[in-house]
Amino acid sequence: MSAPQHIAQAASHITPLRETWRLLMQAARSRAPQLRASLIGLCVAAAVQGLALACLMPLFQALIPNPEWSAAFPWLLTMMGLMLATAVIRWWAQGFDYRGDMVRNTHELRSELGEQLRRIPLEMLQDKRAGGVNATLLGNVDETLSYTLTVANMMATALVTPIAVALAALWFDWRLGLLLLLVFPLLIPLYRWRRPAYGRGMRMLVEANERASADILEYTQGLPVLRAACCVGERAERLQASVKHLEVIQTIGEKKGAKPNLILATVMELAILSVVFVGTLFVVQGTLDVAILAALLVIVVRFGEPLATFVLYAKIIDLIESALGKINAMLRIKPLQQQVPIQTPQSYEVRFEDVGFSYARAGEATLSELNAQLPVHSLTALVGPSGSGKTTVTRLLMRHADPQTGRITIGGVDVRAIAPEQLNALISVVFQDVYLFDDTILANIRMARPDASNEEVERAARAAHCHDFISRLPAGYATRVGDIGGRLSGGERQRISIARAILKNAPIVILDEPTAALDTESEVAVQAAIDALVRDRTVIVIAHRLSTIAAADQILVIDGGRMVESGQHAELLASNGRYACMWQAQQSAKNWHAGMARCPDEEAFVS
Amino acid sequence: MRKVDRVDTPGVWSIMRPVQGQIRFAMVLAGLATAATLGTLCALAWAVHELLQQPGQWPLPPLLLAVVLTVLAYVLRLAGFKQSHYAAFRLETRLRTDLAEHLARLPLGYLHQTGSGALAKVMMDDVKALHIFVADSTPLYARAYVAPVLTFALLWVLDWRLALTTAVVLAVGIGLASLAMRTNADMTQRYHLASENVSKAVVEYVQAMPVVRTFDTGTSTFRRYQDALNAFVDVTLHWYRIAGLSSRLAQILVSPLPVLVWLGAWLVSRDAMTATTWLTVLLVGTGLAESLLPLMSLKHLVAKTQMSIHRIHEVLAEPDLPIPNMAQARVPGDASVRFEHVDFRYSEDGTLVLQDISFEVPQGSVTALVGPSGAGKTTVARLIPRFWDVSAGSIQVGGVDVREMLPEILMQQVAFVFQDTFLFADTIANNIRLGLTGATMDQVVDAARAAQVHDFIMTLPLGYDTPVGERGVFLSGGQRQRITIARAILQDRPILVLDEATAFADPENEAALVAALSHLMRGKTVLMVAHRLSTIRDADQILVFDKGTLQEQGRHEQLVAQNGVYARLWRNYEQAQDWALAGGRA
Repeated sequence: MSAPQHIAQAASHITPLRETWRLLMQAARSRAPQLRASLIGLCVAAAVQGLALACLMPLFQALIPNPEWSAAFPWLLTMMGLMLATAVIRWWAQGFDYRGDMVRNTHELRSELGEQLRRIPLEMLQDKRAGGVNATLLGNVDETLSYTLTVANMMATALVTPIAVALAALWFDWRLGLLLLLVFPLLIPLYRWRRPAYGRGMRMLVEANERASADILEYTQGLPVLRAACCVGERAERLQASVKHLEVIQTIGEKKGAKPNLILATVMELAILSVVFVGTLFVVQGTLDVAILAALLVIVVRFGEPLATFVLYAKIIDLIESALGKINAMLRIKPLQQQVPIQTPQSYEVRFEDVGFSYARAGEATLSELNAQLPVHSLTALVGPSGSGKTTVTRLLMRHADPQTGRITIGGVDVRAIAPEQLNALISVVFQDVYLFDDTILANIRMARPDASNEEVERAARAAHCHDFISRLPAGYATRVGDIGGRLSGGERQRISIARAILKNAPIVILDEPTAALDTESEVAVQAAIDALVRDRTVIVIAHRLSTIAAADQILVIDGGRMVESGQHAELLASNGRYACMWQAQQSAKNWHAGMARCPDEEAFVS
Repeated sequence: MRKVDRVDTPGVWSIMRPVQGQIRFAMVLAGLATAATLGTLCALAWAVHELLQQPGQWPLPPLLLAVVLTVLAYVLRLAGFKQSHYAAFRLETRLRTDLAEHLARLPLGYLHQTGSGALAKVMMDDVKALHIFVADSTPLYARAYVAPVLTFALLWVLDWRLALTTAVVLAVGIGLASLAMRTNADMTQRYHLASENVSKAVVEYVQAMPVVRTFDTGTSTFRRYQDALNAFVDVTLHWYRIAGLSSRLAQILVSPLPVLVWLGAWLVSRDAMTATTWLTVLLVGTGLAESLLPLMSLKHLVAKTQMSIHRIHEVLAEPDLPIPNMAQARVPGDASVRFEHVDFRYSEDGTLVLQDISFEVPQGSVTALVGPSGAGKTTVARLIPRFWDVSAGSIQVGGVDVREMLPEILMQQVAFVFQDTFLFADTIANNIRLGLTGATMDQVVDAARAAQVHDFIMTLPLGYDTPVGERGVFLSGGQRQRITIARAILQDRPILVLDEATAFADPENEAALVAALSHLMRGKTVLMVAHRLSTIRDADQILVFDKGTLQEQGRHEQLVAQNGVYARLWRNYEQAQDWALAGGRA
């Protein structure tokens, strides 16, 4: 998610400052007292700075129009003292940043978010979009928090300093003091009040940006196709229209978004001018010392700068507010509930009992009334069209989410009563897409069992038929995956992941189409590796090529979230149902060959 | 491949050349606004001066001047910002258009290697990254240069002693600040590296979460993530330690206010300076530090922007695919394909990917390209549409070197069905009709029927008008592939290059896909990259590649009898087909 989007979202509802403060303290955890002291310190520093500036008033009185050094000197000293105090207090308060407290705090927050990510139902992360969002959350959001002090300092100078000056001015001339008190501090509430308009402008921009972004991606992705279809020009025109549209929206958005800033700037200029005019009026009337007016002018013309900077950085306040909200939302997600007492399964028979499940996002049930029994050391195959719910079955077993009805047991123990680490240790998975970490091959395999010796890793690699090709790599087992990234073929990567699973030595193995994306040569090696992995295990396999699972102890045919058939290959063929249909379609496709293209009669098989 | 001239990356200012005039205008406006602001301050001092001289009288001229100059400064500043923003938007449009046009002229191989995602990122994000600098910083730049110069000149005229003092104070402050910046130079590098590592670790951690969980014993996988975080903290803390002191001191010392107050008060009390002068100095001089501060943060921004400019420039500097001029362009005679002693390497100093490849594909014949992964068969297929140009030898289509044909003519000879199907966010009908806007609905339906996808399309609520993509209907891989096949059937080009999909969505889809391909291939010159050997048993010729060379050539039976590479592949294939999971009891 891009930054403007954060801004737009944050701007849509403005959190009251008090709520922001509360969340901030919550995020600071053990350092909350220090942070609070630090923030208060910044305010105090700003107030003292205001008082230092206010010293200009008596100082000017002492020197204008008739200079008297003896009267001026004490005020000079006071002013310098206050300025020194400002520097010292601010120095101390900023220590929260400079001493590294803030860095350590965001660090802890990040670690905690990482831990949380490990505990929340995986279902929440499986959605690709959400995955991306969470990555940005972890990566950037807490970084945003590190601006807290900078922004707080700016807010204090923009807000507290004018108030302190105004209060001091009350003592010299209550009318001007009151005027100052009314105009300058009011600017910030005014700005916050007008900010939704800014958000609206931002939102338009975000939408136009997203559209242009999608069009650009489509263009770059589709270029080969466009070139092949000889219509690059036409599409390029469409893209240009979209880019041009973005410019128009940017221009409009700029006008809209700039409005609050414009109002603020106008009011600020008016405020300064009003002080000038009202002050002059009093002086002309003879009710105000001209020295006071002169001093106030010197002070007031400096108020503009911090306020203007404040407006520029107000975006960061939005970011901090939304960051705090998101961190909180993330930490509030409840981990899957652990049933007590915690039990440890003694055998590894898997049972699905009346399992029903629907994803939080989807309306209808993904799985309903699934009943199955997977005996120890049996081979169970899940087959069915894509989207039928096969993968969900395996995910529920791994507890990426919990079923809404029914239960899943391992060795008679409900998976919800097994400790998460224990459950993880019971199941090995080989996915179609292999994820290798940017680390050495050794580390990638050893990940399965951190205490495994080098010999054990090598033994697993041999069993998975990957020792030979690993030995041929420039640095053998110490080769970093990232360094040779593209040079590992799909089959080699898959064998590494199988070695990982072999080393893990879990009693239950899930195979999720491990050979689907491989070429023939790799396939033979991977098949051999799988044979080594599944020996003496309870195996669940998802397969599209039915011939590979024809020997399974039981085949569960799943369609539309229901088990429509189950049994062994021969039984299912004989019953002439869904499975038999799929089998026939596949056999005929298998027998297809290029020569057939020339004899149209042979197409009859597809009808 | 042509030699790439590596032109030096242009700087932040030169990339703005297309909108240079407007930017300069914006900066002039901002500079004038700064001058007007200083003028306002002088007018205010003048007003006080008048009040001191004649206490009972309204100092009208200076007050009016102050109002006029305030309004002027305000209007100029706004106008400047407006100009710079519009210029920035215009620059974005311009750069994106240039990039899009340039990409359309580059070799397809470049797009393929760089990746569409990375290119889209350059076109979107890197171009966007210029905005902050062009729109927001250029006026600040103008101010940061104009304000100190004018202020100092003013101070000098008012009182040279105070002017010099201010200059000294500022010099010390700036000196300290640049000390902080210098230590930062290499720290910045380390900081960015550490921060990048954190981002990578985070993405890896989130993406690999299912894997992380399977191996989660509570320690190992999480440690990778934690390590990156720890490294980042160390670097940041170190940075604070070495740069903290000087940057904090600079913040405090940069303000000339205390000195101006002390010195001024002293001078005024000894009648060495008038009160008005002192007042003017205070009004004008204290703003000096504030106008300089942005320069420091701008330096940071420029460095960041430079990285984006570098990436944009890298794409723009990539040389076009050379095309013959219209007069010399030739048209192919028939639908045959011929490779003559073709060598190919991706870059000039790279290793040979293909070596001395020669073969001929007669019109209307079926040729299969097989070999282990990495043998070069896909590269051979991609050289025909000029993804890249050969390093030596030549490729001829219909007797004409592909480099001597206009790209459009070449493309009109050849249709491609690749593994990665791509559909546009448009209706299904328009996706089939792509590039053939004249095709009638009947022709589209016929093509869809032949591609075995018509029945499926009719089940959709909007039929052929159903939009594909984000808000449209979700299509499975097999369905998408059949739509692209329908497209190729409609295009009806004499030569067909197929890169066979290795994984079909599910058994039922597979049968339909196979039927669709049969339709497409009828009567065409076909080159197919095949992974599943049973599909090519009847091909007119099979070309067997291994390690970038053409190893064997012939029909299935011949090659099996030869007992070479193909025979090995075939045995492997049969073995893989016969594999069945034995299960735990084996």
